[in-house]
Amino acid sequence: MSGISSLFLVAAKTLTAREILECRTFWGLVLAAVGLWLALPKRVAYGKTIGGVLGIVGLSLVASDWPLLPTLTDQAVFWLLASITIVAAVATITSYSPVYSAIWFALSLLGTGGLFFFNGAQFLGVATIVVYAGAIVVTFLFVIMLAQPEGQASYDRISWGWFAKTASVLVAAAIVGLMTMLLGGIKEQALAHAAAANEVTSSPRDAEGPIVTADKPFNPVLDHPHHMARLGAVLFSQHVISVELAGTLLLAALVGAVAIAAYGKRRLTTQVEDAMRLEEAPR
Amino acid sequence: MNETSLLFNYLSVGAILFALGLVGFLVRRNMILMFLCAEMMLQGVSVSLIGWGRYHADWGGQMLVIFMITVAACEAGIGLALILMLAQRTGKLDSTVWQDLREEGLPAYVDREVPEERAEEQVWPTLTPAGRRPEIDLEELSHRSRV
Repeated sequence: MSGISSLFLVAAKTLTAREILECRTFWGLVLAAVGLWLALPKRVAYGKTIGGVLGIVGLSLVASDWPLLPTLTDQAVFWLLASITIVAAVATITSYSPVYSAIWFALSLLGTGGLFFFNGAQFLGVATIVVYAGAIVVTFLFVIMLAQPEGQASYDRISWGWFAKTASVLVAAAIVGLMTMLLGGIKEQALAHAAAANEVTSSPRDAEGPIVTADKPFNPVLDHPHHMARLGAVLFSQHVISVELAGTLLLAALVGAVAIAAYGKRRLTTQVEDAMRLEEAPR
Repeated sequence: MNETSLLFNYLSVGAILFALGLVGFLVRRNMILMFLCAEMMLQGVSVSLIGWGRYHADWGGQMLVIFMITVAACEAGIGLALILMLAQRTGKLDSTVWQDLREEGLPAYVDREVPEERAEEQVWPTLTPAGRRPEIDLEELSHRSRV
């Protein structure tokens, strides 16, 4: 695996129209795009139900085209987390009420945090849940409750017209299709790898030994027992200037947010009144 | 674990999250929702970066995600302050209110056929009314939420 350069991994392959039409991903994406179109506001009658069914069928078709993870447990955990993330993300953009959207987004973030955990990024999994779901989403909820004039505003029920909806859904399907079909070098390599691993494991399994996979069994860098210590060491040695810059950026953002909140909401009329009062005062 | 299939699965999930965030950003008109969708796009990129970091067995991906979280927090702070300011000026979170900023010569976007709010979508818990009905200031209603 190490012999192959990463450029080759993502090398674009040329697809013919027939290959695209025979690909399950293509039809899955078409179905999911139609479902998303139906579920987005301004909604048609029974749009959420039909759109949900179409979306689930389409996403299942897309997911059935992905290479499988080696063990059943891994596969089940991955699919559970991925479906939580994606379903909650769809619910975020289709809810009428912004409060529901924010809560669905928090659920989607929990799924993302689980995906990070699953991929050996323990600290980032916790950080995502604490910083995003704990702080940013709560701030969003505060602002919604401060600023939302009604429970459901008319602009949440209709949004832009049908053209924006159709165009953006098509663009989204095209992006996912490009990433998964055209950049298929990774997938072919994964399938070849899985086939090779199966061949290797099929013979020792008869000899009643532990199943030996062709792959390395664990990730020696990220699965280190002192994960946090290694992460901190890398962060404060190689990236120490970036840490300082990020700290400065946080300070600047804090000052900027306070300045906007303090001076931004003074209306023009009050400023004019203040000026007039100042002019009148000495006389 | 088969690292390559893991990478492909993570990149696919990241692409789907990014595309969903894009759709939400382009379709929804509520400014706070547009902001949430921008954060969702960032999440999609984070998932891809974590996948690449795992595949290459180094810390680069996770470092980038740490800084992305930092920048997203800054962005959320400033963006929410701006949105709150805009909402206090107009009483609406609608981005169409600010369409005076559009390009010269483009026609204004006008809502057509606004669907009525259906009763079953708006069910709140209620209390038994008691006491004297307070006087309602009509002007206050225009910029305060319905109580």
